[in-house]
Amino acid sequence: MHLKYEAQIREPLVDGDKDYHQVSEDICRPIEVKPSRLWYIGFFISIALLLFGVWSIYDQVVYGVGQWNLNKTVGWGWDITNFVWWIGIGHAGTLISAILLLFRQGWRTGVNRAAEAMTIFAVICAGQFPIWHMGRVWLAFFIMPYPNSRGPVWVNFNSPLLWDVFAVSTYFTVSLLFWYTGLLPDLALIRDRAKTKFRKFFYGITSFGWTGSTKHWQRHEALSLVLAGLATPLVLSVHTIVSFDFATSVIPGWHTTIFPPYFVAGAIFSGFAMVQTLLLILRRVFNLQDYITLGHIEAMNKVIVLTGSIVGIAYLTELFIAFYSQNQYEAYAFFYTRANLFSPYGWAYYGMMTCNVLSPQIFWFRKMRRNIYVTFFMSIIVNIGMWFERFVIIATSIFRDYLPSSWSIYYSPSIFEIGFYVGTFGLFFTCFFLFSKYFPVIAIAEIKHVLKTSGQNYKEQVGGIELQKVEEFAGEYAH
Amino acid sequence: MVSIKEQFEIPAKMKTWAMALIAIGIISVVIGFIMHGTGTEEEQSVFWGTIMYNSIYFMLICNATMFFVCAVTLAMGGWHLVFQRVAEAISVMVPIFGVITFAVFLYIIFGGHLHSIYHWIDKDAVAKDKLLDGKSGFLNPTFFMVWSILSIGLWSILGARMRKLSVEADESPMDYEKGKHFVWRNTVTAGLFIVWFALTIGSVTPWFWLMSLDAHWYSTMYSWYTFASTFVSGCALIALWVIYLKNKGYLEYTNEEHLHDLGKFMFAFSIFWTYLWFAQYMLIWYANIPEETIYFKPRVQGVYKGIFFFNLIINFVAPILILMKKSTKRNYTMMTFMAVLILFGHWIDFYQMVMPSISKNTLTLGWLDFGVAALFIGLMIHFVGKALARKPLVAKYHPYLKESIIHQA
Repeated sequence: MHLKYEAQIREPLVDGDKDYHQVSEDICRPIEVKPSRLWYIGFFISIALLLFGVWSIYDQVVYGVGQWNLNKTVGWGWDITNFVWWIGIGHAGTLISAILLLFRQGWRTGVNRAAEAMTIFAVICAGQFPIWHMGRVWLAFFIMPYPNSRGPVWVNFNSPLLWDVFAVSTYFTVSLLFWYTGLLPDLALIRDRAKTKFRKFFYGITSFGWTGSTKHWQRHEALSLVLAGLATPLVLSVHTIVSFDFATSVIPGWHTTIFPPYFVAGAIFSGFAMVQTLLLILRRVFNLQDYITLGHIEAMNKVIVLTGSIVGIAYLTELFIAFYSQNQYEAYAFFYTRANLFSPYGWAYYGMMTCNVLSPQIFWFRKMRRNIYVTFFMSIIVNIGMWFERFVIIATSIFRDYLPSSWSIYYSPSIFEIGFYVGTFGLFFTCFFLFSKYFPVIAIAEIKHVLKTSGQNYKEQVGGIELQKVEEFAGEYAH
Repeated sequence: MVSIKEQFEIPAKMKTWAMALIAIGIISVVIGFIMHGTGTEEEQSVFWGTIMYNSIYFMLICNATMFFVCAVTLAMGGWHLVFQRVAEAISVMVPIFGVITFAVFLYIIFGGHLHSIYHWIDKDAVAKDKLLDGKSGFLNPTFFMVWSILSIGLWSILGARMRKLSVEADESPMDYEKGKHFVWRNTVTAGLFIVWFALTIGSVTPWFWLMSLDAHWYSTMYSWYTFASTFVSGCALIALWVIYLKNKGYLEYTNEEHLHDLGKFMFAFSIFWTYLWFAQYMLIWYANIPEETIYFKPRVQGVYKGIFFFNLIINFVAPILILMKKSTKRNYTMMTFMAVLILFGHWIDFYQMVMPSISKNTLTLGWLDFGVAALFIGLMIHFVGKALARKPLVAKYHPYLKESIIHQA
């Protein structure tokens, strides 16, 4: 006999006395009622930020990339920093949906939907930076390799920047498909509950005629598994290739072999921080504390302390090897420009160390991991730290290059670079507000899947098993 | 109600095998010593280098089984409990192999003063060499030895603490509070182990023991690469022992479901190893800086070329093709084959990490390598068998055990 059972000492994944119907009610409510005033305020602030970005980009397209404060020495500045930052944030979703699925971490069900949505929006934001940096954005399609009438002129297959194009677009496609596949049964549920004509029509179309038949579920499961298999290597590949953008060069501070796994760890680190920021607000505003429990928050904080420490080891490894290699250029990059409080960008390096390595260590303590205010504060700190990390890597390595005559004066962004960055926040939050209004922010079908093993009320019902002798238990249930 | 064989009894055949392998090993070492041990510096270095890479490899893969236990404990995993005692038993080898490894280091650095193994122990060479002189604050015999004692010592102590904690789950049923407290204490010890493991295998220890064989060369990836190589072997080692015990009629609660998941670990970390291999190799190849490519020169272009590519085939191509299928991971014969293949493959990996640095122009792989490996395998069979027989094979009252019994991969 097949038994669904989980040890009593495990915290329930769904709190309270819930049944299937109650789950649907709780999660669909925000979609079926009018948005609150808070939602409108937030939404319009996002739109305003987005417009600031649109204006910045407009100006840059009309007058050229010269509107930015980049120069011959610092050829990459805020744009690439922000690109890598957003891409990194976009890593948590797929990690949760694919890798945690393979590791059978049940708590992912409470957070995967919002995290995947966040991933998709973050990748969209990230994509803006290289695209607009091209200057002549109407020629952006040149980056696609195809037999063309321009010679033909081919893209440079040896360049990691081109690999980025493939990696990011593949990642985006698979994440989108994965997210949408998971959404189908939930959209159908909303369609079936719909009372207004518009809702019936909208969710009728978006749910692709899902009926919930066994056949549909079978295909759904098979497809989800295939996509999880595809997504798992993608979690690693995207940031690996982003790290190649730097590490394949011969620039001190960029060329180091540890970059690929360390970038991936950093990406997951910042992604989880962003998930925390969003979910802590979401669970409060939408009253979802029973589904996104303290247990979920604690689990994510564990991931944060783990990845933060991995990143910390990588930073120290880099510093150590800069000494160990006895390479004077490495030593210059690491000990003179970076880990030197009195160098022009020293503040950024120490900011990074404090935010990314030191401060997450408080999550070794259970009390801190389960404290909502600390978690919220830390989630912001981590993402500031991760922004510094990219900025430190990019700017400090190039602003004083091999030739002192071309050393750059202090690089700081122009209003257009800042506006662009702020604009992507607008884009991100606009998307997220729309998502939270029109789509279920928690995977309803998946919650129902774990309800009978991990729901508080159901767990209480099977408490007797705990007292059963091991031999008897095995005789009855083992397969 | 099924009655189970809780207590492992060492079969006579196992004892014979262990003794035979140890005998072969000792004879090989003795013959090797007679042939090379008193020869030229180069001959001596090859002899001691062979013993060294074997002892490090076997110690680290056994330590990786404790890493497995601790990592799963920290992740609050329950699925592995039906065979956790097997992983624990393998980890008893850490202090035993640790003593051997340490003795080998002592001889290399202080006894034989073999500076064709560790170039940086040659004081005259260091004084003339600006780079080595600059490194000497780190690369010096004292720091090397202190760090080695700390590494091996704390792995052994924390591992022993984990094993001791585990015994408490044999005593009596645990209620909610007691169970929670028990898991909590396990988590704390596992956390300490993992932190120390990260500071040693994840960073400093491989720099000392292995990377400094090429005293001028450096790669930030090196330690993580070493970790991946030993961790995947550790998973294969657990699988191998689990299958052996299954074959002997033990571990009734362990079935294809658990084997399937062990197979997934072997598959996933084979690919992870390849990922790190590729990242390190490709970045050094792409940037083409002589200080870095020097490491691959004897390996890719010299006499070790065959070994180098064989390493990649056996550790990547074979696992990805064979272990991808679900049915392979649930098949005892195939899993045995793959576990042996992975263990052999990463032994070869260690061989090519160490020996080309000691003997650049002559391929040394021969009877001595296999003889020394036989010694370590024999010791492992002997001591792990004993450790398995010391306590029940399943921690009966562990709060997660029932989850493990009904586990589905």
